Amino acid sequence: MKRRTWIGLAFCSPLIVGLLAFTVIPVVASAWFSLCNYPILDPPKYIGAANYTELVRDDQFWHSIRNTFTYVLMAVPLGMAVGLVLALLMNQKVRGIKVFRTLFFLPTVVPVVANAVLWVRVLNPQQGLVNSFLRAIHLPESFMPGWLADEHWALPGLVLMSLWGAGGGAILYVAALKDVPAELFEAAELDGAGPVQRFRRVTIPLISPVLLFTGIMGLIGGFQEFTRAMVMTQGGPWDSTLFYCLHLFNSAFTEFRLGYASAMAWVLFAIILTATIVVMRLSIKHVQYEQ
Amino acid sequence: MKNRLPKLFGLAALILLGALFTLPFLWQVSTSLKTEDQVSKSDLDLIPRAQMLVVDGRGVQVKPVERKGENQVVEVLSGPQKGAKLTVAPGRLYTRPHLEGSNYVEGFKAFPFFKMLKNTLVICVLTVVGTVLSCSLAAYGLACVQWRGRETLFWVMLATMMLPGQVTMIPLFQTFKGLGWINTILPLVVPAFCGNAFFIFMLRQFYRTIPASLMEAARIDGASDLRIWRTVVLPLSKAALAVVAVFSFIAAWNDFLGPLLYLMDDDKYTLAIGLARLQGQYSSDWGRMMAMSVVMTIPLITLFFLAQRTFVDGIKLGGVKG
Repeated sequence: MKRRTWIGLAFCSPLIVGLLAFTVIPVVASAWFSLCNYPILDPPKYIGAANYTELVRDDQFWHSIRNTFTYVLMAVPLGMAVGLVLALLMNQKVRGIKVFRTLFFLPTVVPVVANAVLWVRVLNPQQGLVNSFLRAIHLPESFMPGWLADEHWALPGLVLMSLWGAGGGAILYVAALKDVPAELFEAAELDGAGPVQRFRRVTIPLISPVLLFTGIMGLIGGFQEFTRAMVMTQGGPWDSTLFYCLHLFNSAFTEFRLGYASAMAWVLFAIILTATIVVMRLSIKHVQYEQ
Repeated sequence: MKNRLPKLFGLAALILLGALFTLPFLWQVSTSLKTEDQVSKSDLDLIPRAQMLVVDGRGVQVKPVERKGENQVVEVLSGPQKGAKLTVAPGRLYTRPHLEGSNYVEGFKAFPFFKMLKNTLVICVLTVVGTVLSCSLAAYGLACVQWRGRETLFWVMLATMMLPGQVTMIPLFQTFKGLGWINTILPLVVPAFCGNAFFIFMLRQFYRTIPASLMEAARIDGASDLRIWRTVVLPLSKAALAVVAVFSFIAAWNDFLGPLLYLMDDDKYTLAIGLARLQGQYSSDWGRMMAMSVVMTIPLITLFFLAQRTFVDGIKLGGVKG
């Protein structure tokens, strides 16, 4: 081999070792486990596609899929909308805008577990911040959401919590808005376009690549939701926050069904891949990249 | 006037939302400084207060113990009558602003904070060193050395980014168990020394913008590739390396699943896992839990203010978030 090849390989050797040891070999092993009965202490035993057919009949599996999709379908679009509102407000020419930028961004810096500890209390039905606020504006007690204590309100509670982090996306949208040439707005205004039309016909198309990017990242992150449910609700009440990855973790490390959990991991991969492709396909007509 | 109105409306919305986004922080800090009896009032009072009573012409702090018919039994917490239990009419009780530090003191006792901080920092520092080193070496190999197979390696690496961590989680757990690495920090830090696809991708894009003439000049002077990497490429990529360092630090600081899987003993716990455990044990002790969540958050907020530029760069490079 040429000398340059040796040098290149040497620089990349930690990467190559890492890819093999921590990705390629585990991926092959995981695919094999998913076709096996593997109760943690005994060696894996081949059972064909039985794990996958069992998944189809597992009520909890479908339940966790429904929870996860419901969560993603609420949290991702709402998060993008709130992020966009914040970005438009931050794009104003006002003195001290930097202070607001910091304020909106800070929640995304809070460690996940610390955030979970905080929001368990923010969402507490009796003494929590949200319901205290609702009480202060005289919402009748019978309309008071039970949040994490109520199976119908637990997912919306987690969505509300996720919106506190909408400032992360907003930073990206602001950067994209800054790149929109002012002449485009002036031209649209001269042609008689009102603010709503300018927003729909100029702003949105021009920042659409960033919107798509944050949408897909939100989708991928949403399907892998785990820590908050584990710390805040353990999947309850009545499995209403049993996310897919929490069910997977329980299958592997509390029921010790490694084969079954491996099959779940591959189904997750398939879901994420399909969802990403579908979103890309659907958006292709609407997203405009610069020439 | 016509032009002013939307502007004022925009400003008002900005201030309103700014206040709304700050509220959870204020409430968190305020609750962490409240006495137990004040926490349970749900009156949206952000100023921590203490229950007071005038005894012998002096205001002393008291703690409500129980109700006795119309009256309230309170325990005196300060002054010469400390420890005494008095029965008083509720009307005689009043409050005044007061910062209660005991939540922090008690929290540090229930929670071996400094031990966990040390454990967390050891993992964070090793992760940062490993990630920065391995990623910049690999990015140099992928961007600055011409060799057969580097494009293949690059695409294989990109493909692995699509894979959710859950797929490799179980085989890796079994492997680390086989190696006897359970209950050590090795499963959490060794992978960091083997590169991270996202950071390598980012650094490679950056290294490609370094003029080849700079590296050529060094090579003609007889410098080896290792030397060029150290003396030409590293100094030029400080900003990008800072992004890698800051975001790998945050990821290690926040990591919950890793320590949950691999650390078993209390004295090995990181802050994330320790705080999560505490949440299970002391869920009714609001002041203490809020104090500990404040303590876990402060270092990252400090880091943010110290490296704001780096944060914004990192977010723009692709929303890397633990």
